[in-house]
Amino acid sequence: MAVQTESTAPLHRDALGDIDPVTVEVIRGGMETVAYEMATHVSLTATTPILNQSNERNATILDGRGALGALSVGIPQFMLSSTLPVRFALEFFADEGLNDGDVLVANDPYHGGGHLPDYNVFAPVVVDDELVLIASIQCHHADTGGGMPGGYNAEAIDIWAEGVRFPAVKIYDRGVERRDITYMLKVNNRTPTFIGDLRAQVGAAQLGVLRLKDIIKRYGVEAVKAAVDHSIAYAARRFREEVSLWPDGEYEADCYVDHDPIGNQDIHVHVKITVKGDQLTVDFTGSDNRQDLKAYSTFGNTRGYVVAQLATMMDPSIPKNEGFFDSIDLIVPEGCVLNPTPGKTVAAGTHHPGVEVGEAIAKAMSGVLPDRSCPQIYKLGGPNVFVGNQPDTGELFIDHGVDVLAAYCNAVRGQDGWGSMPASFGNLVRATAEVNESIFPVRHEWCDYATDTGGAGQWRGCPGSRVVKRALAPAGFSTWMVGIKYPMAGVQGGHDGSPNHLTCRFDTDPCEIHNIANALPHAAGEGFEYLYGGGGGWGDPLDRDPEAVRDDVLDEYVSRASAERDFGVVFSGSLDEYDLRVEIDATRERRESLRADGRT
Amino acid sequence: MGYRIGIDVGGTFTDFIVSRPEGDVLLSKEPTTLTDQSLGVMQGIARLAAEEGLDSRSFLKQTDLIVHGTTTADNTMIEMNGALTGLITSEGHRDEIEIRRGYKEDIWDPAYPPPIPIAQRRRRFGVPERLDFRGQVVKPLDEEAVREAVRRLAKQGTESIAVCLLFSFINPAHEIRVKEIIEEEYPGVRISLSHEVMPTAPEFERTSTTLVDAYVGPRVQNYLERLEGALRQGGYAHDLLIMQSNGGIMTAEFLAKRAVASLGSGPTGGAMGACAVAKRAGVEDFIAIDMGGTSYEATLVRGGVPTIRSFWNWQHRYLVGLPMVEMHSIGAGGGSIARVEAGALRVGPESAKADPGPICYGRGGTRVTVTDANVVLGYINPESLCGGEFKLTSDGVREALREQVGAPLGLDEVEAAYGIFRIVNANMANAIRRVSSQAGLDPREFCMVVYGGNGPVHAAMQAEELGIRKLLIPKTSPAFSALGLLLADYAVDTQRSYITPSAGAQASRVNELLHEMEDAAERELSAAGLSRENLVFHRFLNICYPGQTFDMAVPAVAPGGRMTDESLEATIEAFHDLHEKLHTYAVREEEPVLRAVRVQTVGQTDKPILREYEPMSTSLDDALRSRRPAWFRDRFVDTPVYDGNRLGFGHRIEGPGIVEERFTTIVIYPGHTAEVDRYGNYRIERNQT
Repeated sequence: MAVQTESTAPLHRDALGDIDPVTVEVIRGGMETVAYEMATHVSLTATTPILNQSNERNATILDGRGALGALSVGIPQFMLSSTLPVRFALEFFADEGLNDGDVLVANDPYHGGGHLPDYNVFAPVVVDDELVLIASIQCHHADTGGGMPGGYNAEAIDIWAEGVRFPAVKIYDRGVERRDITYMLKVNNRTPTFIGDLRAQVGAAQLGVLRLKDIIKRYGVEAVKAAVDHSIAYAARRFREEVSLWPDGEYEADCYVDHDPIGNQDIHVHVKITVKGDQLTVDFTGSDNRQDLKAYSTFGNTRGYVVAQLATMMDPSIPKNEGFFDSIDLIVPEGCVLNPTPGKTVAAGTHHPGVEVGEAIAKAMSGVLPDRSCPQIYKLGGPNVFVGNQPDTGELFIDHGVDVLAAYCNAVRGQDGWGSMPASFGNLVRATAEVNESIFPVRHEWCDYATDTGGAGQWRGCPGSRVVKRALAPAGFSTWMVGIKYPMAGVQGGHDGSPNHLTCRFDTDPCEIHNIANALPHAAGEGFEYLYGGGGGWGDPLDRDPEAVRDDVLDEYVSRASAERDFGVVFSGSLDEYDLRVEIDATRERRESLRADGRT
Repeated sequence: MGYRIGIDVGGTFTDFIVSRPEGDVLLSKEPTTLTDQSLGVMQGIARLAAEEGLDSRSFLKQTDLIVHGTTTADNTMIEMNGALTGLITSEGHRDEIEIRRGYKEDIWDPAYPPPIPIAQRRRRFGVPERLDFRGQVVKPLDEEAVREAVRRLAKQGTESIAVCLLFSFINPAHEIRVKEIIEEEYPGVRISLSHEVMPTAPEFERTSTTLVDAYVGPRVQNYLERLEGALRQGGYAHDLLIMQSNGGIMTAEFLAKRAVASLGSGPTGGAMGACAVAKRAGVEDFIAIDMGGTSYEATLVRGGVPTIRSFWNWQHRYLVGLPMVEMHSIGAGGGSIARVEAGALRVGPESAKADPGPICYGRGGTRVTVTDANVVLGYINPESLCGGEFKLTSDGVREALREQVGAPLGLDEVEAAYGIFRIVNANMANAIRRVSSQAGLDPREFCMVVYGGNGPVHAAMQAEELGIRKLLIPKTSPAFSALGLLLADYAVDTQRSYITPSAGAQASRVNELLHEMEDAAERELSAAGLSRENLVFHRFLNICYPGQTFDMAVPAVAPGGRMTDESLEATIEAFHDLHEKLHTYAVREEEPVLRAVRVQTVGQTDKPILREYEPMSTSLDDALRSRRPAWFRDRFVDTPVYDGNRLGFGHRIEGPGIVEERFTTIVIYPGHTAEVDRYGNYRIERNQT
C-alpha cells in the first residue's frame, strides 16, 4: 500500500486543448500566489512563535492525481514530503474518495513523508463531484510523541519509539471536524501548542481550497486542469532541454557520513548519474546496506534532497512541479540506507545521510556543471542545544542554537563561497546575540570567520566561523557531531573546507566532542568553542587570480603563509602598511615549482 | 500664504507640484539631470516662475515652503559608489554584516553573488569591550585597541566610520568614547554611531543600518547642502524640507546627519499623497498603487494610515531597521520587456527604462514593452503623449510584437499585445494578493487608489482580477509623489530597546525612555521652527511572544503621556487583542516580552488648501476629443476619447471610454462607470453584476 517507488507512468497530460498560453500563465501565477497565501496564513496563525517565524513550512498545490502543480517553499529539501503522502491517501481512499470539506493529516515517513515531526495537512478541491486540485501544507513541529521530546531520539530502537505515525487521517470529514481524531492527535503530543499549530495548517489548507475554487470559478474546470497539465509539461520540457545541454556520460561519486549517533562508522552514499540525451538517471545502487544503523533516510526524504539539489543546478526559472520531479529517473534500492525497509529509525537520517544525497549529486556533476554544482547541505549533525534554568526565576530554558554562524558554503566556478550557509538555507533567520542574551542566560562571545578555514581553490570556499558561547547559569549541552572526518569536499582540485571541531568547557575543563554530547554539564561561566567547518574550494588554487589572493590576505580570509603555501602567491610590502603587492615573477616561479612538485 | 512647491526627483523626470496662494495646484515636469540633480530642480523652478509671470528670484521669495523627495541615497546604494567606509564593532562580531543572519535572496541559485561590501573586512575592526543586556560593563573598552583601529582606518584613507557596539542602545558610553578617540586620532572623518542612528536590537540590523548611513552620508549631505545653497542664493528664505522613509518630513540639516532616513524618499511621498487625497474623498481603507516606467509599488493603507514596517526591511541588499512606509515592489511598468521563454510568455522585471525606452518612443528601442502593447490595443494615444509634447511612432511596433511574442506562441500581433497586457496585470494583481495576505486581509474589501504615469491604464483590469469594486484616480496622479510632499507632516521616529519579560517591565524605565526621546525630538523639531504645542507624540511599546523573531508596535496606554503599572498592564492586554485581530489568535497564558519603546513625534504643518471644484456646466460631449478602436476582452470597440482638461466635477462616463490627461491616460472598462468628484478625482466603480 505504501508509496515507495517512483511511478513510471508520466503524470502529466501533454495536450493543451483549447486553452491559450496566456491563460495558462495567468492561472499558474494565480496558483503560486495561493500557495504563498497558504504559507503566509501559517506564519500569521501558528501558535508556536518559533514555527510561525522560522519559515519551516512549504505549501503545495497538486492536481486530482497527486501531481504537484505549484508551490511556495520555505526550505527546498523538505518540499517533496508534501506530494507522496497525498498520493498514498488517494490510493487508500480510492473507493470512498476524497470529498468536498475533507481535511487530512499525515506524517508517516513510510507513507511518503520525511520524518515524523513533519506534518502534512491537505484538502481536496472538489467541484461538481470532481476532484480537481488538492491544497497541501507541510510544517515541522516541535514534538511528535515517542520516546524522547522533540522527535530526535538517538536511542530509539525503531520508528515506533521515535513517535506516533499518522499515515493519512481525516481530521475533517465533509466539512465537519472529527473531534475524536483531533483529540487523539492532541493527547499524543507533548507540546500544548501542537494542536493550535495543526489548526493553523488546517486553516491554510481550507483557505487554499477557497482561493482555488475562486480560480476554478473564473476560468472553468477544464481550463484549470489544462493549465496545470501545461505547466507540468512546460517544466518537464525545460528540464529535458537543460539535461540535453549536459554532456552524455556516467558520473559517479561517493560520500560518507562520519558515523551515526551510536558510532557506526563511515555510512556510505554512492551515486551514479547517467545523462543520455535529455534523460537523467540518478541511481543510488551501491549505497550502504547495513541494517543495524540508527540513521536512515526514507525514500521521500531521499527524493527531496535529489530534487532540491538538482533544482539548484538548473536554470532557477524552471517551475518546481511534477514535470520537474517526474523527469528524474530515480533508482533507490529498497533496504539500503536511503530507502529503508519500514520500521527503521529515521530522525537522524533525515539529516545524515539525507544531505549526503545532495552532496553526492553535486560532487558527481562538479566537472560537468562547474558553475552550479554546489552541495546545498550542512555537516551539522544535530542542533546544539543548551538546557538549564533561568537564574532568577528557576524556569526551564531551551536555547536551540540557531545562531549567527558561517559554515559549509562551497565555491562554484566563478563564485567564491560567501555569507552563512548554502543558498537553500537562505530563508532560515538566525538568532542574534542581543536578542538571545536578553532571553537566555548565555553569552554570544564570538562568531567571526576563522582565517584559512575556507578550502583553497581557483574559487575559494567560504570560511567557517569560530563560535564561542558561554552559559551564564548551569546548563546541559547536547549535540550530534559529524563533518570531522568528512568535511566539505573541495572539487576539481580545490581543497577541502576545514573540519568541524567542538570543545566543550573549552577554557576551563576542556572536553572534545567526537560524536554525541548528551546534556554535558556546563557550570555558570563555562562555554563551548565550535569551529564550524568551512566550504570546499573549486579548482586548483594555483590558478586563482593573484590579485584576488591579495584581497583575501588583506581581508584575512587567507593568511599570508597560506597564500604562499596553497596559492603560490608571493608578496612584497606589508599587511600592516596596506602596501601588499603581488610579486609577479616570484609568484610565477613559485607556482611553477609547486606544480612541478605535483603537490596540488 | 505664498507658494508651496513639492519637488520629486525620479529616474527620468523631476516632478513639480506648486500650490498657488489661491489654493489651486499646478503640475510640471522637467528632465532629471543625473549628474547633479539640483540643476534640474533649479531649471524647473525657473520654468514654473516663468509660467507664473515672475522671475525666479521673486517666485522663490514668495515661496513659503519647499519639500523635496530625493533619490540620492537610493542612487548611491544602487550604484554602490558611496564613501570609503569602515566599521568599529565589538570583538567577535566583526563578520555579522557578511553572515546576514543567514539570509540569501535567491534560495535556488548557488552562483548568486554576495552584495558589494560597504566596508570590506580589512576596514572592519572588532575591539575588546563588552556590555551585558542590562548595559553593565562586562569588559572595559580597550582604548588602545580603538586607537590602533582608527590609525589603521586612517591609513586606508577611510572617509566615513560606522561604530556599532553590542548593547550600545542601553548604554552608549563605549560608543561615545570611541567617537571621542576617532575625533582625536582622525579629525574630520564622518562618524555614524549606531545608538544614534538606530537605538534598538539586534546587532545585525543596527550594524547594517549604521553602515548604510555612513556610506550614503557624505553624498547625501553634499547634495542637500548644494541644493539648499542654490535655493537660498535664488531668494528662498526658509528651510528646505525632505521626505523621509517614515512618511514624515524633516529639515535638510537633520537628514544630512541621518542620511539613511532619506532612503525611499520619493515613493514614500506618493503613498502619503494617496493617504491625504483619499482621506478628503472619504476613503480610509485602500491599496495605494504606483505604476511608473519600471516598477510597481503597492502599499496597504488602513484607517488612513499606511503600513509602517521597521523589521526585515531589505533595501538594495542591506537591511535598514528604521520605520519605513511599507511598499511591495515588483518589476512591472510601462517599460517592462515581454519575451517568450520556452513557450511561456513573461513580462518584466527587465525594463527598457527611459532610454532607449519602448519601441514606440522611436529612440532605438527594439524589444517589445508593455507600453508598445498598450499602443497597439488602443489604450494609449498612438501619436503622442503629454498633450502632444512627446511624439510616438508606430514604426516597427507591430512587426516586433509578431516576431518576439506572436510567432513563438502562435498569436497575431493584437493577441500578443493583449497577452502582454493580461500577464503584466496578473503579475500586479498577484503582488496585491501577497500584500493583503501578509496582513491577513481580503483585497475585495479595499478600494484602489491609483497613480504614477502608467497606473491608470492598468488599474481597472487589476480590479477585475481581484474583485475590487472601487477605484480612485486623482487628476494629480502623475505627479503624485510631489503632491504627497506638500501634504506631509514633520515626523521624527525614535525607538529605544528595552528588553524584558513584560511582568518585569518598570513603568519608571519606560517613562524615562519616553522622556528622553520626546526631548530629543523636540530639540530636532524646534530647530525646524516648531514649538512643543505643535507636536503630537504617538507612543508605542514593541511587544512579542517569547521566541518570536519580530515584534509588534502596540499603542501605549499612557494617559497624560506617561505610563503607570496599570497602564503597562492595559497595554499588554492591548497586545493580546491586537495579536488576535491581526494573527487570529492570542496566547493569553504566555507572558509577552517587551522589546522596545517607540515614539513617533509629529509636527503638524499648515496644509495647502486644495481647491474644491464647482460642478461643470459643460456637457460630456464638449470634452470628446476623438474616437479610436480599443481592445476590450475579445474585440476592438469604437471608444470615445475625452480631453481630461475639459472634464470636471459631475461628469460621468459609462465605459468603455478613455480619458487623456496631460501626463497619463485613464482606461475605463465596459461595465465600469467613472465620475469626477468635487476634488478632481476620477471615481470608478464596477457595476454590480
